[in-house]
Amino acid sequence: MNKKAIVFLLVFAMVIVACGDTTEEVAVEATEEEHDHEDESTLEQVQERGFLKCGVSTGATGFTEVGDDGSYSGFDVDYCYAVAAAIFGDYSKVEFKQLTSAERFTALSAGEIDVLIRNTTWTQSRDTELGNDFGPTTYYDGQQLMGRVADGLSNSSTVADIDGLRVCTNAGTTTEKNITERVGLAGGTIQLITVEAFSEAIDKFIAGECDIVTTDGSGLVGRRAVNDALNDWVIFPTSPISKEPLGPTYRSNDSQWADIINWTVYATIIADEYGVTKANVDSADLEANPELGRLFGANDGELQTKMGLDAKAYYNVIKQVGNYDEIFSRNLNPLGLYREGGDNDRWADGGLIYAPPAR
Amino acid sequence: MNIDIKKQTRVIKENLFSSPVSTLLTFITSYIMISFFRGMFGFATAPDKDWLSVLNNMQLYMVQAYPESDFIRIWICVGLGFIFSGLSVGLWETEEKTSLSKLCLTFSKIVSGIIFLTIIAPTNSVVVSTATGIREQVEVFSYAERIPLLSILIGLLVVFFLISKINLSFNKSLLVSIYLFVPIILLWIMKIPTIQLDSENQRVFPDPLMPIANSTKIPWTLIWISFVVAYLVGVYFKNKKQFKNAVSISWVLLPLLIFSWIFKKPLIDLNELIRNDIPVFIGFLLIGVLTIYLINNKIVEKFYSYYLGFLVVVTIASLFLKVILLVKAALLLLLLFSAIIPAVSTSAKGKRSLTIVWIVSLTTTAFLLEGGTSTTQIVVPGSSIFGGFSLTWLLAIFGTYVSFPLGVLLALGRNSSLPIIRGVCTGIIELVRSVPYITWLFFASVTMAVFLPDGVEFNLIVRVLIVTAFFSGAYFAENIRGGLQSIPKGQFEAADAIGMNTVQKTSLIVLPQALRAIVPTLVSSIITSFKDSSLVTIIGLFDFLTIGRMVIGNQSIPINFIGHDRENLLFIAFVYWIFTFTLSRRSMKFEKRLGLGER
Ligand SMILES: N[C@@H](CCC(=O)N[C@@H](CS)C(=O)NCC(=O)O)C(=O)O
Repeated sequence: MNKKAIVFLLVFAMVIVACGDTTEEVAVEATEEEHDHEDESTLEQVQERGFLKCGVSTGATGFTEVGDDGSYSGFDVDYCYAVAAAIFGDYSKVEFKQLTSAERFTALSAGEIDVLIRNTTWTQSRDTELGNDFGPTTYYDGQQLMGRVADGLSNSSTVADIDGLRVCTNAGTTTEKNITERVGLAGGTIQLITVEAFSEAIDKFIAGECDIVTTDGSGLVGRRAVNDALNDWVIFPTSPISKEPLGPTYRSNDSQWADIINWTVYATIIADEYGVTKANVDSADLEANPELGRLFGANDGELQTKMGLDAKAYYNVIKQVGNYDEIFSRNLNPLGLYREGGDNDRWADGGLIYAPPAR
Repeated sequence: MNIDIKKQTRVIKENLFSSPVSTLLTFITSYIMISFFRGMFGFATAPDKDWLSVLNNMQLYMVQAYPESDFIRIWICVGLGFIFSGLSVGLWETEEKTSLSKLCLTFSKIVSGIIFLTIIAPTNSVVVSTATGIREQVEVFSYAERIPLLSILIGLLVVFFLISKINLSFNKSLLVSIYLFVPIILLWIMKIPTIQLDSENQRVFPDPLMPIANSTKIPWTLIWISFVVAYLVGVYFKNKKQFKNAVSISWVLLPLLIFSWIFKKPLIDLNELIRNDIPVFIGFLLIGVLTIYLINNKIVEKFYSYYLGFLVVVTIASLFLKVILLVKAALLLLLLFSAIIPAVSTSAKGKRSLTIVWIVSLTTTAFLLEGGTSTTQIVVPGSSIFGGFSLTWLLAIFGTYVSFPLGVLLALGRNSSLPIIRGVCTGIIELVRSVPYITWLFFASVTMAVFLPDGVEFNLIVRVLIVTAFFSGAYFAENIRGGLQSIPKGQFEAADAIGMNTVQKTSLIVLPQALRAIVPTLVSSIITSFKDSSLVTIIGLFDFLTIGRMVIGNQSIPINFIGHDRENLLFIAFVYWIFTFTLSRRSMKFEKRLGLGER
């Protein structure tokens, strides 16, 4: 081979390696700057536009689903509704943008969406390098794997047991990186098949084209719940191979906007602590519970108006969407995901769901 | 049937088995085609495939989240489309008479085809076991099951053979209108499996049989009847030239009307309309008419070129000023008009027709602009108003509608003798063509906002439309330039000899010939933009393909369609195929009538 060919191959290989690894980051950096120029705050933009642009998943059972009439439902979708209820007093003022894992951060930086609520894991690099900030975690998750009993797998299997198998997951995720790392540590080799949307991975698994699918445990449980009546599939290992705190994500450098999103989440959690639900919010005793009073805008709702919101903003959230427990149970209980005894239980009951006081 | 067996064998022999190589090729291709069919058949009939995942999501596929209360608007759009198709088919139908034996021949060809396919269909298909992930063979279509079907089909063949002996010929339109009623009858009597939920929201198995399109039966029937009526009207007015012209023009205006007024339900501010738009409209109307009638006045003639120059400046300036859109559009129109007035309005007749054209074009522009720029009153819960097939269709049709005139202008500009115009047009064409479409889409979604003036914010779909128009416009321009170059020099000289000016030369001599030469490329670019529109998924728009690929495979409530992506993909491929195939067939007929490729 002559010199030119070698140089060409080297450059080509570098390009491929570079693209393969950092597609998500490169695209983002290119578009990051323009947004610093915009002097309007996100809240002003959203209010002027009249609706919220919320980035959700292309589809994750229980988190984002589109019905046959085009309507949206799910845990993440409900948090989009909650933010809209806080800003406009009308939960339906949302435009959903369904994004794949690989596109989500680009869309956020480019201003295509105002907030990303799409089973997105809070990681150091995403928080620090991509120009994003993360809100409070709404769902504490962890990565697991799903395989078939017929392949000799069981609840107690570990990453070491999948040596030599075909593993499917979607591109641009923490999942993809975790599994490669874990399998490497366990000294095995796998054939990793990455697809664009997670539904393709599940489709391949059902069609027998992969032996294992892996993603956040919640995603697996949801899929198994509706597809595997005979318990031929197992989810393992019992304690997940990674931490996946999922929550809302927004562009950094706009702390007013960050506060609005954060306190929307906190409001649902505080309401849950007091047992205030969609149904009983009107009869809640605000005198006896001054914190609730402040949150629901009893005395001029100073706390909210100083944030740029309506005094009744968080009352509207609870009234129209519900508290944390309602959002959780409504969307995830049907899939067999429960709060009791898990990480997503109330802090008072040993879980991690905790909100700072409203004062 | 008067098939000459000997002749048939000769034809077959000559075409398929003329030499050892062609015999081999015949066998190889038929083997591939038969295997393809068997594979498809096995796939489609496998018991683990759920085709209702497609049927149940029809609404999502077509209009995504468009609210049900406004469906009437969609039906009107579809109905208009059908009515005008019917009219055109009737108007431009060439074949007049047909005979019973010819008809029987067509039918028996179809039936023989089905018999052949029934015989070669596979008995087994592949099912993947949920438990093991291993493929298993299941019998789906045993030979015993085929016997009744085959005997019915062969019986049919015999019947056709007998009927074909009757010597009877009739008008084709009669026949067409008879068999156009078949779908209506099928619509009301045929039943297919449909998803039903029981009281606990569980799907009932096996899926009960229900009439097709239970909820949409009435609109479809009405639409189909209007189609047939339109067809007959078309046949009746076949020889009326004006009618044909009217239909052709309507084809151009119809999509604009649909997208600006019907699909959208625009919110019109009456106050604004009376204060701004109507005075502007009347003003421009008067200026245009005055110019037409005063053109032969000595003083006007003398200063006409200054007037034109002034118009050019004002038009360009208006693009950057904060004036209502109608002013900008009307100025542009007035400029174009004033440029051709001196050439056309020399006679009284010319003046009259020019006045009519001016009034009609200004009115339509104003009307469409009013609808197009106002906000829609349709509230789509949580998504943009266009999605699914309507988005694909919008991108394809609008892409072509806008890009075609743009392409013509660019091509003419590139051939112009003015260096500035030539430079700009060449620059645009080369710039647009040297960057891939996907990059332009990213430009539309991410960067275009930076280039727009402050406060101007276009919807993503509009931005994509702009980019698409330029992209296919540039390709059109190059095709048209090819057409322009094919015109012999003598034509220009002849035009000069009879004293035509540039406008007349371009519009009467050059363009008609150039455009005629590019009809095939025109159709192929419509097809391309129809298919390319699926690329918009990468910037987060939900076109037809994306819905099937990413949305349906995730549905679990109340009915689980996880793992049924492939049925949906096949369905999408089929729909794309139907549309592109019909388009290219139509264009083949059209080319034949134009006599293309025969000169
Ligand atoms: N939490 C991980 C994975 C997120 C993820 O992709 N989750 C899957 C299923 S739980 C999903 O949302 N898939 C839908 C899609 O691909 O659009 C991350 O943030 O990288």
